Amino acid sequence: MTRARTLTFGQAVNEAIRIAMETDPDVILLGEDVAGGGARTGEDVDEMGGVLGTTRGLVKAFPDRVLDTPISEMGLIGTAVGAAATGLRPIAELMFIDFLGTCLDPLLNQAAKLRYMFGGKARVPLTVRTVTGAGMQAAAQHSQSLYWITAGIPGLKTVIPATPHDAKGLLLAAIRDDDPVIFCEPKSLLFVPGEVPEGDYEVPIGKARLSREGTDVSLIGMGATVRMCEQAADQLAQEGVSAEVLDLRSLAPLDEEAILATLEKTGSVVVVDEATPRCGIASDVAALCVDRGFDFLNAPVRRVTAPHAPVPFSKTLEEAYMPSAAKIVAAVREVRG
Amino acid sequence: MQLDRSALLDAYRRMRTIRAFELKLNELVTAGKMGGFMHLYAGEEAVAVGVCQHLRDTDFVASTHRGHGHCIAKGVDVAAMMAELFGRATGCCKGKGGSMHIADLDKGMLGANGIVGAGIPLTTGAALSAKLRRTGGVAVAFFGDGASNQGAFHESLNMAANWKLPAVYVVENNGWGEFTPTEFVIPVKDIAVRAGSYAMASAIADGMDFFDVYEKAGEAIERARARQGPTLLECKTYRFMGHFVGDPLKYRTKAEAERWIQTKDPLERFERRTTEAGLVASSELRAIDGAVDATLAAAVAAAESAPLPDPSEVTTDVYVGGAA
Amino acid sequence: MSVTAIRMPKLGMTMEEGTIVEWRVAPGDRVEKGQLVLVIESEKNEAEIEATASGFLRHVYAAPGDVAPCGALLAALTEQPDEAFDAVALAAAEAPAARRPAAGDAVALAAAEAPAARRPAAAASAPAPVATSAPARGGERKAIAPAARALAKQLGLDAERVTGSGPGGRVTREDVEAFAAARERLVPVASGVALEVLREGQGAPLLLVPGFGTDVSSFAALTPRLVERFRVWALNPRGVGASDGPAADVPTLAADAAAVCAAAGGPVHVVGASLGAAAALELALARPELVRSLLLITPFVTATPRLLAAVTAWCRVAAEASPATLARVLAPLLFSDALLADEALRERTLRGLAAACARVPPATLERMAAGLAAWSGTRAKDLARIGAPTLVLAAGADLLTPDGEAVARAIPGARYTVVPGSGHALASDAPGVLGDATLAWLDRT
Repeated sequence: MTRARTLTFGQAVNEAIRIAMETDPDVILLGEDVAGGGARTGEDVDEMGGVLGTTRGLVKAFPDRVLDTPISEMGLIGTAVGAAATGLRPIAELMFIDFLGTCLDPLLNQAAKLRYMFGGKARVPLTVRTVTGAGMQAAAQHSQSLYWITAGIPGLKTVIPATPHDAKGLLLAAIRDDDPVIFCEPKSLLFVPGEVPEGDYEVPIGKARLSREGTDVSLIGMGATVRMCEQAADQLAQEGVSAEVLDLRSLAPLDEEAILATLEKTGSVVVVDEATPRCGIASDVAALCVDRGFDFLNAPVRRVTAPHAPVPFSKTLEEAYMPSAAKIVAAVREVRG
Repeated sequence: MQLDRSALLDAYRRMRTIRAFELKLNELVTAGKMGGFMHLYAGEEAVAVGVCQHLRDTDFVASTHRGHGHCIAKGVDVAAMMAELFGRATGCCKGKGGSMHIADLDKGMLGANGIVGAGIPLTTGAALSAKLRRTGGVAVAFFGDGASNQGAFHESLNMAANWKLPAVYVVENNGWGEFTPTEFVIPVKDIAVRAGSYAMASAIADGMDFFDVYEKAGEAIERARARQGPTLLECKTYRFMGHFVGDPLKYRTKAEAERWIQTKDPLERFERRTTEAGLVASSELRAIDGAVDATLAAAVAAAESAPLPDPSEVTTDVYVGGAA
Repeated sequence: MSVTAIRMPKLGMTMEEGTIVEWRVAPGDRVEKGQLVLVIESEKNEAEIEATASGFLRHVYAAPGDVAPCGALLAALTEQPDEAFDAVALAAAEAPAARRPAAGDAVALAAAEAPAARRPAAAASAPAPVATSAPARGGERKAIAPAARALAKQLGLDAERVTGSGPGGRVTREDVEAFAAARERLVPVASGVALEVLREGQGAPLLLVPGFGTDVSSFAALTPRLVERFRVWALNPRGVGASDGPAADVPTLAADAAAVCAAAGGPVHVVGASLGAAAALELALARPELVRSLLLITPFVTATPRLLAAVTAWCRVAAEASPATLARVLAPLLFSDALLADEALRERTLRGLAAACARVPPATLERMAAGLAAWSGTRAKDLARIGAPTLVLAAGADLLTPDGEAVARAIPGARYTVVPGSGHALASDAPGVLGDATLAWLDRT
């Protein structure tokens, strides 16, 4: 077994990309500012390594395989799809998932569907890394959590780790998966540290993680909301309520068995999602509970989400917008009576 | 850049196959024997064949919704294509793609595409792949004048020129973007000038003349293989039939279409030039015509009696592991 | 007086903390606005920090080499060099540094209250409205959780008969489990029929039979006093609470009561209220050997038109409304004006009544009502045959069974007491008086 040490979520992502590129010459990294200055040799400039520093150091290690692109999301993602279909294993960065609107077709109609439309002959081993969520006062057009869109597209996979450990393992799994995978990096987690083993390991796509066991209520979270669920579980324990916390990790495919198992155990589910409420993952999970877990329901399924509104700028407004441990505790109290 | 006899006959055979295939489809769809949206390539054969004559199976092409011609020119099996259009399990896409998504990656055909301009970034990616993996391959995008107004076109050309990718972007300017004349929506007369914005090489070919396309395409592909960068190749051509099968064609005059069909048919011009130069005999070309018709008839018969896909195929091939 | 704070700035999106490199001023120095006061280092870059106001440096909170998070208080200036300044209080008044807004500049504060005050309501008030799905729409019908239904079905129980303890009276899985456990305490009274009988206390056996549309909880105020001296058997009739159904007529209730008395090792002190008193009368006539004494609380032998109408209305409202609504509708018929005028007492009483009503399903009420109407008037002439010592306790303001005195007169040797001002639900209206009278009566028998 290899040692664990502490890395931030962003550092764990960096390490996964490095390992993937070391072990497979077909892996390339492209995106806006992924090198960020570092590809200019002979000048006294340092590299940004991405707008949030996540990919710093990689262009120096792999100078021919880390490519800064123009600000052309449609072009760069479409190019990544074409490259993936013809022998490379690209990691493309979509700087913020809010920019999905400018490159939806290559993902929706090309990457997701080439294999199916071509009767199984095509393969698109593409990974799209993208930053999601609120918490940095980045406001309406840089704070969304649009993973529900990609999770709903057949042919794509969508994952969202909640810890640095899973960030590394899930990204390695995503890169090595032969299907197109959208890898979400919640911005409020990027600088949060956690234990990360050294070496090469993968976290399986399609499997949720039971972060804490309990008997009275199931708190189901994803990405940034998993921490909130754990904090809520701590508070609830003081009131004598034993909460179980399930980290979905994989939004498509969804670990339906894990969701139904925790529902069966507690009879009461609260789903926490920092995305907006309509047509989202929280609703999907709730529908699953009612559809396939009806006889286990001992209380209504509660969804704690952002409101049906854009993300506001002001710090207090943004705090009111996001889910929180307090809101989760209040929801649990409401359904228990 | 000279073509020997067998190459000339091969070129003719491909063009004739495209023409016959498209006319046959027109017949079948109009008779109600085939379903879906069908966009026919008749009249533009010289472009597909003139370009693909230079390509190997390991070179990739991406196409449009009007993609049968590029498939045939690239060597995709005609019988498998016909079965696909009949929606049969024996189709080259197992009946799951249809006309707008016909593909065969084994032949380097990245597919027809239902989204205007979508093949252009895919081609850029294939070229990037060829460059980084040092395959020596080139990637060719076929698209229409309408697609040259898509953001994807501009982004791709910028990136390809910037990275000196081994790509050729072939814009088939047939004067019509669906039902709107090209000059209504594009302020420049020659789309080729757009390459100038990206410091990219460009050329203009007479798309109704196989030899002009062949020569200019050859230069572009040579440039790509020599790692000198991409080219925007504009082929002036004409779509003999409607935008789609069933198009009442109210938006253009019969006189205009007749002018092109009567005086600029690429097959007739090819025949005239090669027979007059004594390179091939008419009888050989007639023999090819007959063989093509026989091949098509057999393809139709085989397709009509082939099995339909099993309903379980609805959820297969979604992911590499199957369904999810 | 005003204090200017010098804080660790946030220079760039990813900066979390900085290190003090060097102070360019010392406490006591005059500082001009714009003057370089401090050098910090973050992420290998040094930055020079300028004062945003003029003043005199009074206190430095961080030394070279210290690391402080963005927004942390590093030093303070005051306008005058000698004005009152409490360095400790200023530092103590800081909200947790991590929650400070990301301001790079020094900020003017007014005294020590400022840091807390600058965090507006968000810190002090309740959390923002829970952004959850809107509150559930419930109907007036009993809500039963799917898990409860499934468990009830599995156990062969009728979920409709389970009292719900969840929000809004929802029946939960736990409620079904409790109901099932309660059923294990059942006493068989006939072939295939068992009744829920609560047994408590030590001493001579005493049987409590509740009235129409209620259960043993109607005796809740009385029971604690009885169990000290008697072994109390409180039965829920068929179709009530956890007892088997369906509900039956008065003679059957009497026969069930007889079976319980036999189980108790009779003869038994029998206490019945209202319709329960009717059953007690039947029992005394059919099985006199099992009856040691008879306490009839607000009894009747012939139902008045008002009683029959009330019972009919009771059934109808129960079928269409929640127990809480039903209790409110019944209140003026059952309780005295005095009780109803006392808000706290009224609400408490209604909650108890609603809970009891929740244990009597509409189908049971219908059958009980039919049984009541069928029994009415049939025993008027037979009361003379009753041999057991009898006390009739009537309520002075009873709207439903006002003829208690006539009942007492018809029974040989029966005593009669009126509790003035009480409504028909004597046990709720005058529990103390009822308890006193009951114990005094039992002492005599």
